[in-house]
Amino acid sequence: MRRITSALAAASVAAVVLAGCSATAPESDAPVELTLWTGFTGGDRGGYEDLIVAFNESHDDIQVTMEVQPWDTIAQKLPSAWATGQGPDLATPSFDPNIVKKYLDTNSLLKLDDVGDTTLLAPAAVDAFTVDDTLYAVPANVATLQLYYNKSLFSGAGIEQPPTTVEEFKEDAAALSGDGIVGLSLADHETIQMWPILQWLEGGDIVDAEGCSVLDSAQNVAGLQSWVDLVNAGAAPVGLTGAESDSLFSAGKAAMQLNGPWAAAGYAEAGIDFGVAPVPVGVDGPVTLGSTVPMAASAQTKHPAEAQAFLEWWTGQDAQRQFALDSGFPPVRTDLADDSELAANEIVASFAAALPTARLYLVGVEGSTQIDSEAYVPFIGEITRGSDVADAAAAASAKINAITGCSDK
Amino acid sequence: MSTKFHVSLKWVLLGIGVLAALIPFIWMIAGSFRSEADLFAAPERLLPTTWTLDGYISIWQELPFLRLLLNSFIFAGVTTVLCLLFDSMCAYALARIQFRGSNVLFWLVIATLMVPFQVTLIPVFIELFHFGWLDTYQGLIIPRATSAFGIFMLRQFFISIPRELDEAARIDGAGHLRIYWTIILPLAKPALATLAVLHFMNLWNDLLWPLIVTSSTEMRTLPAGLTLFGGQHVTDHAVLLAGATISLLPLALAFFFAQKYFVAGIATTGLK
Amino acid sequence: MLRQVSTRTTSPAVRGSRPGGGRAAPRRAFRGLPGWLFAAPSIIILIVFIVYPITQSLWYSLHDWRIGAESQIWLGLDNYQRLLGDELFWNALRVTLLFSLVSVVLQIGIGYWAATALMRETWFNRVFRSIFFFPTIVALATIGLVWRFLLDARIGFVGGVVQLFGGDPVEFLQDPSLALSTVIFVSVWKTVGYAMVILLAGIKGVPDSLYEAARLDGANARQLNWHVTLPSIRPTLLFVTMILTINSLQVFDLVYVMTNGGPLFATDTLVTMMYREGFTNFNLGYASAIAWVLFVIIMLLSALQLRLFRYQDVD
Repeated sequence: MRRITSALAAASVAAVVLAGCSATAPESDAPVELTLWTGFTGGDRGGYEDLIVAFNESHDDIQVTMEVQPWDTIAQKLPSAWATGQGPDLATPSFDPNIVKKYLDTNSLLKLDDVGDTTLLAPAAVDAFTVDDTLYAVPANVATLQLYYNKSLFSGAGIEQPPTTVEEFKEDAAALSGDGIVGLSLADHETIQMWPILQWLEGGDIVDAEGCSVLDSAQNVAGLQSWVDLVNAGAAPVGLTGAESDSLFSAGKAAMQLNGPWAAAGYAEAGIDFGVAPVPVGVDGPVTLGSTVPMAASAQTKHPAEAQAFLEWWTGQDAQRQFALDSGFPPVRTDLADDSELAANEIVASFAAALPTARLYLVGVEGSTQIDSEAYVPFIGEITRGSDVADAAAAASAKINAITGCSDK
Repeated sequence: MSTKFHVSLKWVLLGIGVLAALIPFIWMIAGSFRSEADLFAAPERLLPTTWTLDGYISIWQELPFLRLLLNSFIFAGVTTVLCLLFDSMCAYALARIQFRGSNVLFWLVIATLMVPFQVTLIPVFIELFHFGWLDTYQGLIIPRATSAFGIFMLRQFFISIPRELDEAARIDGAGHLRIYWTIILPLAKPALATLAVLHFMNLWNDLLWPLIVTSSTEMRTLPAGLTLFGGQHVTDHAVLLAGATISLLPLALAFFFAQKYFVAGIATTGLK
Repeated sequence: MLRQVSTRTTSPAVRGSRPGGGRAAPRRAFRGLPGWLFAAPSIIILIVFIVYPITQSLWYSLHDWRIGAESQIWLGLDNYQRLLGDELFWNALRVTLLFSLVSVVLQIGIGYWAATALMRETWFNRVFRSIFFFPTIVALATIGLVWRFLLDARIGFVGGVVQLFGGDPVEFLQDPSLALSTVIFVSVWKTVGYAMVILLAGIKGVPDSLYEAARLDGANARQLNWHVTLPSIRPTLLFVTMILTINSLQVFDLVYVMTNGGPLFATDTLVTMMYREGFTNFNLGYASAIAWVLFVIIMLLSALQLRLFRYQDVD
């Protein structure tokens, strides 16, 4: 062990000199040690841990330690940790891509100018992490939601194929429900939002480019009404969390669900005979929801060059190929689309295929977390529990506009 | 006739209470041995149709389990001991020594009881950083080494001990230290034992505090370490329930062996 | 009849005058030293890790506080003013008070009933008491999770049993009109054994002579209960009421795990609201203002309880 380290000391010094690194470069023989905080608990943890192992094995001059803790804990500690110049060198501050702005308020993020060719990364993510033409985070992962369907329930109801249009989607959901089965397992809180997809399918949206709510437009109200009618008819449950909605599908009590790649392994283990299909095409063409977790570096890290090298490696081809095969997540890069290994993997291919049409939830909207918790989630909760859609939409719009400041404009 | 009715009503109600108290635990422990498919196929069953150890195996494989267990014992054990010492000293001062400011101190103690921890979380985190105590045992232990609840409870107990006892000792020339150590503490043993059990239980179960103070896996306590299995996306019931069962087990064992202090202990000493 | 009252009604006045008693100042300072020394370790810890941080948070609450920002925007009392106009705050206040009132009354009521029902020292009673106490030893977060699984309308144990008997699924945690009652139920379930044990301790401490005297006067069981037991265990009742009230007003883990304040804010307590503002929306100043309002409410209610139970009598 020691032999290896000392043998490679020369290499690390050379690397530092070549990088033109400043006085912060370590003069000792030891490799640079970086700490990374992530919130990747649960079943998806293994794929990330394997990435760290692969990085450390291929880099003798940089060694990264990943400390996994619940997202909540990161939200409690990281803002003060980074603002006071302590804490990890690298972190995924939240699963919400909009968090980047909050950390920029306190100048906590390192400007990323040396993380490779960012034009090859998922554009939606890069847009979300770029503020004033400067990149402050790279995507730690990207995912899309696709339509999971229970094959035995489908054949039991005499339906051959998963729905391909929004009209078929609604018809199938209604036809498949009854007798303790719901057609579509929807979650409305503590989840990656599914309702925006339903809105987009109908040509609706939540806010416009100025941050003004469009929830109360006639088109939105009509589109939502058609889904609310399905919920009222018992085709979808009310008020579930993401985990509860997953359990319903795992239990074979839901015929369809909109979910990300992470769910596949659990459903297979629970013995469900399921397929993954593209989200049915909406009135404006194909669309689905994408999600991405930002990974950023501390503005006060002592090793900015090494931190960026790690981020470049993480989003590089080798790492992304390995991670996609490991986890089923699509790669964060666009240049792996034709990779034969990835194309052969049905799950990866399916979720990756949806990337170009994926949209992020409330991306770039001022106060997005507050809109989610205080306006959008309660709004969906109200309309699925019997409130008049138009009235609730008007009230939610007023709240959203107050948060974004649109009403002042 | 009516007393007979009352007596049977009483036992029916108590019986319902016992069932309500036990069913969640039976379900939890049984659930830790059930596969997802088994759990969902027959939700009305309390016990598995087939048993699986998968939940326990993943915990054993993916966590430095013994290290977490050791940390939990160090954190809960050392903190409990310090807490008993400091709480009883403070309670002694408040109950048995008349001094200027004792009323103020008492109110200060009571007031700290009323502060929800979430309020002080960020300032405390920043303090621990300045002390260099993050991710250390002292950081875990020292801030928790006294409790307003313990001081309040022991003070109430000490007040009930007859004053003649320490007056007699004082005539023999004993100082406060000796009275505290040789008279009051021995008399308060049952109360201290009960308090020890309550403290140990709360510290063992504490989740938020160890998560705030520690960040590396080697410093985690058992409940904090087990949070690695509750995911944002994927929830594996068997693993979660296995984790819950494992962290309950030491307390449950302690409860069976030290029941006297949990239940009968308080009852025989009386809390006055 | 009542030992505390009969022997100690005059004590408040005496007690109140004691610190200012007519001793010489230097001697008094010296006499105070042992008291301060004994109290020092606890007091230092409490000051450093609770009192100072809470004053910090008072300072935050007067600003639009952003962690680590170079300068904080002074708001004065604006955060508090904003609270008054925030319907979510009034909702959280209502939920918190309702939750606390109902939980504490049920915990103490049922706890007292169980304590008297299981008072005799038979092995059978001891087993029952242990079982009732058992839920106390589990972490709230764990037990909240278990109850959430149990109560699931479609795939939980309770849901399964309901379906077995042909009932419609009951959405205990998804229905806004049931969610708060469900959370209160779990909170009572968890704490009733604790209340029982402490009250039992108090009841056991009542001297038999009091009961004998009352029985000689011809009192029946109910009268013994009302006129002997309850007044005699007033210090214990005070302790248990105060602790349970303080804990209920600060309820967080249970709600967070079971409903996270939902559905439609039906279980949103002051602490879950504060948590959301502080750690989801990063409005630390506003969150601190909520915290201080809660702190003041707890202090007022505790003072009220101390008065109601005539705390000074107990000394």
